[in-house]
Amino acid sequence: MVTLTINGRSVDAPKGTMLVDAAKAAGIEIPIFCYEPRLGPPVGACRMCLVEVEGMRGLQTACSTPVAPDMVVNTDNEVAKDAQDGVLELLLANHPLDCPVCDKGGECPLQDRTFRFGPGETRTLEPKVHFPKPLELSPLVALDRERCIACYRCVRFSQDVAEDAQLTFQERGDHTEIATFSGDPYEGRFTGNTIDLCPVGALTSSPYRFVSRPWDIKNTPSVCAGCSMGCNVEITERDNEVKRVTGRPDPNMAVEEGWICDRGRWGYPALRSADRIDSPVLVDSVGRRKVLLERAVAEAAGVLVNRDARVGILLGDPITVETGFLALELAQRVGAGPAMVARMGIPGTGLGPMRSLPGAQMDDIDQADVVLVIGGDPCTQQPVAELRVRKARRRGARVAVFGPRPSALDDSCEAMRTVPGHLMDAAGAIRDRLDGSQRAVVLWDEADLAAEPDAAALIAGLVQATPGARAIEMCADTSGPGLRALGIGTDADLLAATEAGEIDVIVTIAADPITGPSGDRWAQALVGVGTIVEMASHATAITGHADLVLPLLTPLEEEGVLVSMTGRAQRLRPGAREVPGAAAAWEILIGLTHRLGTPVPDRTPAQAFSRLAREHAPFAGLDYEVLGRDGAVITPPAQHDPDSARRDPQGEGLLVIACTPVFGDATAHRSDALASVVEPTRVGLSPAEADRLGVRTEARVRVATPHGEAVLPLEVDARLHEGAVYLFVGDPAQRAMRLLPLDRGPVRAVVGVAAREEVSA
Amino acid sequence: MPVLNSVFRHREFGDHLTSLVEYERAGGYLGLQGTLAMSPDDALYAFHRSGLRGRGGAGFPMGRKASFLPKDTGKPTYIVCNADESEPGTFKDREIIEHNPFQLIEGMTIAGYAVGCERAYIYIRGEYGVQGEVLAAAITEAREAGRLGPDALGPGRPFDITLYRGAGAYICGEETALLESLEGKRGQPRLKPPFPAVAGLYGCPTLINNVETLAALPPIMHRGPDWYAAMGNEKSPGTKLFSVSGHVLKPGNFEIVLGETTLRELIYDLAGGLREGREVKAVWPGGSSVPVIGRESLDVPLDYETLNGVGTFLGSGGCIVMDDSGCIVRASWRLAQFYRHESCGKCTPCREGTGWLAKILGRMVHGEGRGEEDIRMLESLFGRISGRTLCPLADGAVMPVQSALNLFRDEFVRVASEGSPRPEPMMETPVG
Amino acid sequence: MTTHELEEFLAPMRHEYADPRSLILPALRYAQGDAGWLDPQAMAAVAEATGFSQAYVESVASFYDRLYLEPVGRRVINVCVTLSCMLRGSDEIFEHLADYLGLDGEGTTDDGMFSLHKVQCIGACDRAPCLQIDAGQQIGPLEPADATCLVDDLREAAAPARYDR
Ligand SMILES: Cc1cc2nc3c(=O)[nH]c(=O)nc-3n(C[C@H](O)[C@H](O)[C@H](O)COP(=O)(O)O)c2cc1C
Ligand code: SF4
Ligand code: SF4
Ligand code: SF4
Ligand code: FES
Ligand code: FES
Repeated sequence: MVTLTINGRSVDAPKGTMLVDAAKAAGIEIPIFCYEPRLGPPVGACRMCLVEVEGMRGLQTACSTPVAPDMVVNTDNEVAKDAQDGVLELLLANHPLDCPVCDKGGECPLQDRTFRFGPGETRTLEPKVHFPKPLELSPLVALDRERCIACYRCVRFSQDVAEDAQLTFQERGDHTEIATFSGDPYEGRFTGNTIDLCPVGALTSSPYRFVSRPWDIKNTPSVCAGCSMGCNVEITERDNEVKRVTGRPDPNMAVEEGWICDRGRWGYPALRSADRIDSPVLVDSVGRRKVLLERAVAEAAGVLVNRDARVGILLGDPITVETGFLALELAQRVGAGPAMVARMGIPGTGLGPMRSLPGAQMDDIDQADVVLVIGGDPCTQQPVAELRVRKARRRGARVAVFGPRPSALDDSCEAMRTVPGHLMDAAGAIRDRLDGSQRAVVLWDEADLAAEPDAAALIAGLVQATPGARAIEMCADTSGPGLRALGIGTDADLLAATEAGEIDVIVTIAADPITGPSGDRWAQALVGVGTIVEMASHATAITGHADLVLPLLTPLEEEGVLVSMTGRAQRLRPGAREVPGAAAAWEILIGLTHRLGTPVPDRTPAQAFSRLAREHAPFAGLDYEVLGRDGAVITPPAQHDPDSARRDPQGEGLLVIACTPVFGDATAHRSDALASVVEPTRVGLSPAEADRLGVRTEARVRVATPHGEAVLPLEVDARLHEGAVYLFVGDPAQRAMRLLPLDRGPVRAVVGVAAREEVSA
Repeated sequence: MPVLNSVFRHREFGDHLTSLVEYERAGGYLGLQGTLAMSPDDALYAFHRSGLRGRGGAGFPMGRKASFLPKDTGKPTYIVCNADESEPGTFKDREIIEHNPFQLIEGMTIAGYAVGCERAYIYIRGEYGVQGEVLAAAITEAREAGRLGPDALGPGRPFDITLYRGAGAYICGEETALLESLEGKRGQPRLKPPFPAVAGLYGCPTLINNVETLAALPPIMHRGPDWYAAMGNEKSPGTKLFSVSGHVLKPGNFEIVLGETTLRELIYDLAGGLREGREVKAVWPGGSSVPVIGRESLDVPLDYETLNGVGTFLGSGGCIVMDDSGCIVRASWRLAQFYRHESCGKCTPCREGTGWLAKILGRMVHGEGRGEEDIRMLESLFGRISGRTLCPLADGAVMPVQSALNLFRDEFVRVASEGSPRPEPMMETPVG
Repeated sequence: MTTHELEEFLAPMRHEYADPRSLILPALRYAQGDAGWLDPQAMAAVAEATGFSQAYVESVASFYDRLYLEPVGRRVINVCVTLSCMLRGSDEIFEHLADYLGLDGEGTTDDGMFSLHKVQCIGACDRAPCLQIDAGQQIGPLEPADATCLVDDLREAAAPARYDR
């Protein structure tokens, strides 16, 4: 600790702290623009933070001057104030007087600082430097160069955080401008963060342009349910609509550090997509009609209360732990004995050894000497994880990526492409990298390692044997560890029971089994089910077959807790409630228990959470208050799975490598904002494989596994492996996921030319 | 006319020494020979004892800077010669490069031995295309003769020089901007600390010196540091090249012993004086980035301290002279335009302030001034720019204008309300 | 300018730099030697040969005055207009040349022969007022008539095999 004096007050700060941060901790604000430690070392460019340090010549930039013992600093005396005033006056010299029409107006640091630290009067100004008005940097990000104050933030993000090297400064002096190469669009998975970083209205969100003014909006901190990263976000609401999602201004440094991916940012228009279910639907002898929620819940209760009804409850994704817990509660209260509760299509066996490894948090990667990514592809499946991995590499950690998929990390990290289905082959290389490491972090993919239990057991052994090594499971589901901690398992038994005619009522919650893995089997099985009750936010393939449809709120609209892939339980807070006729799953479930005459004691998710925390050991001691701003880490039981035998792929043909990019998921397909970046559901083949199959020139091909077949667009990509077919799934309309086994285990597919009528279809 | 005791051999010999043979015949490489006979630390000490100060502008003692370089860091140590010479009014490095490139190469080799460097760079401004060719040829010749390369410092002791050409940016003369440019980046200054001596090129210890500084090493090591230190005075020992230009009849470079020659002598005796009937009005004695001084300061002896005493700097030694036909506001405007054009744009006060200065001065010159209001505006702008920027370019932009306003306030006030018609330029062909 | 040509040009100097980024400026200068300016293809070739993004390469190029991202004439006439030259008539030289070339200030002649640029001190104030064709010798002191002669001579002369600007 170093003791110094700021504005006459004695302040303690750890050695190495910059003056701005030391002052901030003591409640003294030094205005800044360019300082942003998340972007790397200070650049000292804007000069907004000039302060007087007694004994030092001239003024010092507080953002780049570390504290020193007995330093005497003045941030609000005449000299310092004149400096702040002066910098603001100069910044405004070429800044358009746009505030009333600027999207940033009202929440603009430049406006704010001018108000609080700036010149009392504006002086006659010379003609300003002009640039042609806004430029589309991409369909998502707009740039107004006249407003830019050249603070370096966006450029540093692009160059030094996302490492996409696309945003740069061009020209110099007062002609400096932000640009991409020859005006190409700014493409990437993280582009929107530049908007959050921009301290003026130079970079704005095109979907948000002119939508709201800061004084009529409400901001709510929440969590993104786009993937298992669990990034903290802020939701902006106006007129009961979600108008914007941004990184949280006070980031969760243990999770996303304030960065979110563009899928998380611009997924919200899906809330208003055409297939949103806006009202409960009842199908009975009268026909199919919309009813009020009350009535629908009563009808559902009427079915569930039936003493003969054998009930199955199927949970999809994303599901809060409260919903999972209340589903278990409901299960105890229905029909002919406890209902079966299961999670749809989750990876199955053999993960016990991996899950027993000591867990790491995302910020542990910052300290790691070795970072290994085994299977999966965080860049597309848990995008923000990529940024941490890149940061580790920049810091000098040894980073290696293993698996059958090409990855955006390949260009800057050691990449070892394994033969599809043979992660085992990477074992030697993994051992090498781990050897001698002290703080290794191993990110491993749930689905890939579940498909290769033998490799999982071996790799787990290697990690286990490495002192200091810890693991992060890259989960397939948004809140997988949370539901696992409640003991909710796979749907294999439920499907078997349904197929055996032992299930009379199926309740789905955010789950569409016939679109998911082994969907065709489910479709068959459901034919024999008497009543299908669907709770969903958007229409699915089973909506047409359901006897009762209950509209759900989405995670942006509901309250609850999600557990991220590092086991961090974090609170969702409703940003808006767009569909008046819809309800959160927890509300409906509580309502059902009341209707069944055996009400649960909970009235709110907070109460449900406190109760589940008392009943389920991993959550012991937690409640909403304890979760607080940054959540709390739980450790779900490992599920010791003795089965580590190699699994042989089912079927024949090429091994299927399933890819689940978040930019290709249902929300991405539903959000019109993401139209320019959405990843189509498709088949990927290496050129050699495409040649061999004679499909190189086809636009669409037929893929068939023992679980079903589909006709999908073909993409030939030289980065893909031979001997495999890459199945990029996600678009609910294409239902490609159903080609996979129920537990996403290894499977082969026959790929061939699609018949003409299929192509035109 | 050969200069006695000149530090620069081509001046002493009155000849171009552009081939290695000629250079060696003129005593070239004796300095290195002597250096190699001593230990690197002794060589460093000799630099120190000579009292040689940096000739790029800041005048920092060369030996002291070289001794800041940390040893045994496990990283390579680099030497970078600053041949960006872009300070208006300065063209002395050009002369050394054109006429005596080997003395620079030898000087760098000597420095390389002293600081334990194996690869050095010369960063030459892009506009010096012809001069770049001369240097490139000299480097090749030295390499072919074994003066550079694997055995340059003795058998198995390598030293080599890479010529790096800029592409037009004054700011790349600032040492950290130069390093950025040499690293393939936009030439924008870095935040200091760390200083280049500790973390310079590629993050490694780096010694950066001006052409004239490094080229002074061979005679210092040949004739001994005491010979050098004996010239001039205690704080400003040795000789310095002054580039004199503007309204003088015989513009050119002149080597003077520091502290012995006055500004008046430099202008009238060496640079041929002014046109008939003209008097000195203003002098920027150390390049355009220093405060301008008037006729009353002509009798100061030229050395670092004395010039500080009259409120200006010796700077790069680029002495620009304006006679009483010139308009000080117009001259200030022209300089302001220079700095506006050359501001790298990294920090706010300079990026915005230099443009603002140029706009106000431009208006004044063109008769669109707002009288006293403009003067007040200028005065408040000076304070908002200088001392508040990331690098000294902005101070250099303010100093000549601010000093001009202080010295010629009446003229500024007049131009601010009346404008300033373009005066007849001096078109006389230089004498000699 | 092809990537291959650039790679051949860069190959012998790669070992001189600890970071290949340093190759960008030499590569840009070389790439400009062909057409006299950097068209997007040339810049793309530089990006490829050095291994840095096109945006980055363009950003570096745009920083420097003597790298041209827009087409310029066959020869670029750089008239110094900084203080020492101004005092000795550079503005008059510039205006005279503009007049002679039929230009309204800085610009490129319609026939694409010449670009006339005002530049900052080119380190030859002893020759003020002076100018420089491309990055050639600083020429001066000039009288307006000298300047026009120079242009006439240039018009006769062939364009250089490679530009150094
Ligand atoms: C804006 C600016 C431009 C400069 N230009 C040059 C230059 O062209 N040549 C030079 O040697 N030093 C120049 N310098 C000084 C260098 O930063 C540095 O101090 C010098 O190269 C050190 O060498 P020396 O100690 O031998 O003088 C410049 C400094 C600034 C702030
Ligand atoms: S666009 Fe915004 S973030 Fe980027 S440099 Fe300009 S002001 Fe800074
Ligand atoms: S990485 Fe995942 S959690 Fe984070 S913003 Fe993107 S989709 Fe949302
Ligand atoms: S003072 Fe000027 S040249 Fe120096 S860093 Fe700031 S903007 Fe760039
Ligand atoms: S915040 Fe310190 S210089 Fe910008
Ligand atoms: S001012 Fe023109 S060459 Fe220096």
